[in-house]
Amino acid sequence: MFELSEEHRMLKELVAKFVDQELIPLERQVLAREAAGGKAGLSDAEEERILARCKELGLWSLDVPEELGGANLPTVALMAMNEELGRCAFPFTFPPDSPNLHMLMAVASPEQRTKYLEPYAAGTAKSAIAISEPGAGGDPAGMITRAVQDGSDWVINGRKIWVSRVPQADFIIVMARTGDGKRHEGVTAFIVEKGEPGFIIEREIAMIGGQRTYELVFEDCRIPGDRVLGAIGKGFAPMQLRLTVRRLQMGAWCTGMAVRALQMLCEHARQRVTFGAKLSERQAIQWWVAEAATKIHACRLMVMDAAAKNDAGKDVRTEASMIKVYATEMAQEIIDQSMQAHGAMGVTKEMPLQLMANKVRAMRVYEGPSEVHRMTIGKRVLDGKWSGIN
Amino acid sequence: MRTNGRGLFLATVERPALIQETARQPMKILVPVKRVVDYNVKVRVKSDGTGVETAGVKMSMNPFDEIAVEEAVRLKEKGAATEIIAVSLGVAACQETIRTALAMGADRGILVESDVDLQPLAVAKMLKAIAEKEQPGLIILGKQAIDDDMSATGQMLAALLGWSQGTFASKVTIEGDSMTVIREVDGGLETVVLNLPAIITTDLRLNEPRYASLPNIMKARKKPIDTMKPADLGVDPTPRLTVVKVEEPAKRQAGKKVGSVAELVEKLRNEAKVI
Repeated sequence: MFELSEEHRMLKELVAKFVDQELIPLERQVLAREAAGGKAGLSDAEEERILARCKELGLWSLDVPEELGGANLPTVALMAMNEELGRCAFPFTFPPDSPNLHMLMAVASPEQRTKYLEPYAAGTAKSAIAISEPGAGGDPAGMITRAVQDGSDWVINGRKIWVSRVPQADFIIVMARTGDGKRHEGVTAFIVEKGEPGFIIEREIAMIGGQRTYELVFEDCRIPGDRVLGAIGKGFAPMQLRLTVRRLQMGAWCTGMAVRALQMLCEHARQRVTFGAKLSERQAIQWWVAEAATKIHACRLMVMDAAAKNDAGKDVRTEASMIKVYATEMAQEIIDQSMQAHGAMGVTKEMPLQLMANKVRAMRVYEGPSEVHRMTIGKRVLDGKWSGIN
Repeated sequence: MRTNGRGLFLATVERPALIQETARQPMKILVPVKRVVDYNVKVRVKSDGTGVETAGVKMSMNPFDEIAVEEAVRLKEKGAATEIIAVSLGVAACQETIRTALAMGADRGILVESDVDLQPLAVAKMLKAIAEKEQPGLIILGKQAIDDDMSATGQMLAALLGWSQGTFASKVTIEGDSMTVIREVDGGLETVVLNLPAIITTDLRLNEPRYASLPNIMKARKKPIDTMKPADLGVDPTPRLTVVKVEEPAKRQAGKKVGSVAELVEKLRNEAKVI
């Protein structure tokens, strides 16, 4: 039986309260703005107020180690909290949005720790990571952006795409080829600071679900030698460190989204009468509800199991892939059924369901599309590397 | 200085400030907190009519008790109290409710563990025993619990201890050895002045309880909770009231739309038979 500790349950309740009292009341404004052609997220003023509240409540630097001033919460607590956060329809995460944290902690030099990691962990500096390229997305090992050493400097040339949070970022981790090795070999991570010559934000790309991504160009972008992050030619493995926890987190968000969609469905079905009977009395609806509840239960257990294993130092890459596929697909299905049960109301821009549907649709693609994860799971199982059938 | 109508100067006498809030010996505050079905849960009556379903239902601190904890914490922050003790009486899981109070700012907890259905008189007697041991200057309770809505424990406790009581408080000010309480009563506000030690029961508008923040949740883990049994307090908690039956309110019939006043009158007369 999986049960949260008393303290972690209280943290989950804190986030639940924060979501119900601070975030969800803003949805109406966000939806109205989005319907009028604006962005489907918080305005700068709203964000500033919400972030101040987060700081006040200690909802900040949650997975950051204590020596860097963070709460150092274990994965199980983080996932329980992220499930609650998932119920909010517009995009929001507690700062710092931390996938880069694990990579920086693993490989940053002492100077880089002071200059980049510490302010990032404290939430005073923001960062982004540029991996994908127009010709290399789900298969990042196919990247062709290249960095060449010139004296003690490095010069980067290439093009990156689908990079989030670029305008706010004080620094960006850029993955580039430095050696002759094929695929995973010869890839090095570099830190490029905001406004550095040759680092060009080519264009903003509006994504469905309220996110924005950016296409970046590096044109003879010259950076000093101390910006190499980790070992030359060995940047690929540390980059992967950010992914496992991120995928579990996506599983938790999807559970929260599905919970919200199912709550809305049930509430509507209990009231709505068609052809003389309540929707809740119709088998079609009952079966959706039953399936949805079962899948939410399964997904939550998968996330918590992987989180507990991760906390115990076990390798959960296969589980993370399973969660990434299962969670995004189950949430998409439940949100879709909730929309369907709401009829015309479900497909209006007044309801948060459409925003959730778009958000989860994008989640099936980023951090590795479902198909790539299925490929990985299949291969690991066939190669006898998954303990679940051994 | 100001003048009267005939141009004579009148001296304004500076009245000494009553007594500073901190002048009194700092005191302990006792806050009883009850574990109840969460206010967001749509309650269901048990099929046998013996009560409300609590199995598998989310439980939380009674919202009025949250207000009581918040008020105690504010008084402590102002320097009017030195220690806040949260007490809960009931099943072992009431420890969670105490822990919530500790995360909001209470300093330690007391759990009186009992599987018996605890009724207001038994709770008041046990709280009296705890008060006699702890000697608090103030006991702040919720005005009622949202499960049984008895609104009795605070008043019974005041009677048993022989202390003053300010029930349904919407504003509390401590001035030395006394306390001014503004009470929400039918038709308005009533102001009463109580001598300490005293009992307050909280109304909804007394304050807005804070969230237990993350650092305070982490600190709460280290705060002590004493556990005892009703017998340790010399109280027999056997229920004295018997619940005969619990049932849901009758379902409302759907309304009807009428086309004219004449039709309305006709229906009121002949269908509803109310005129």
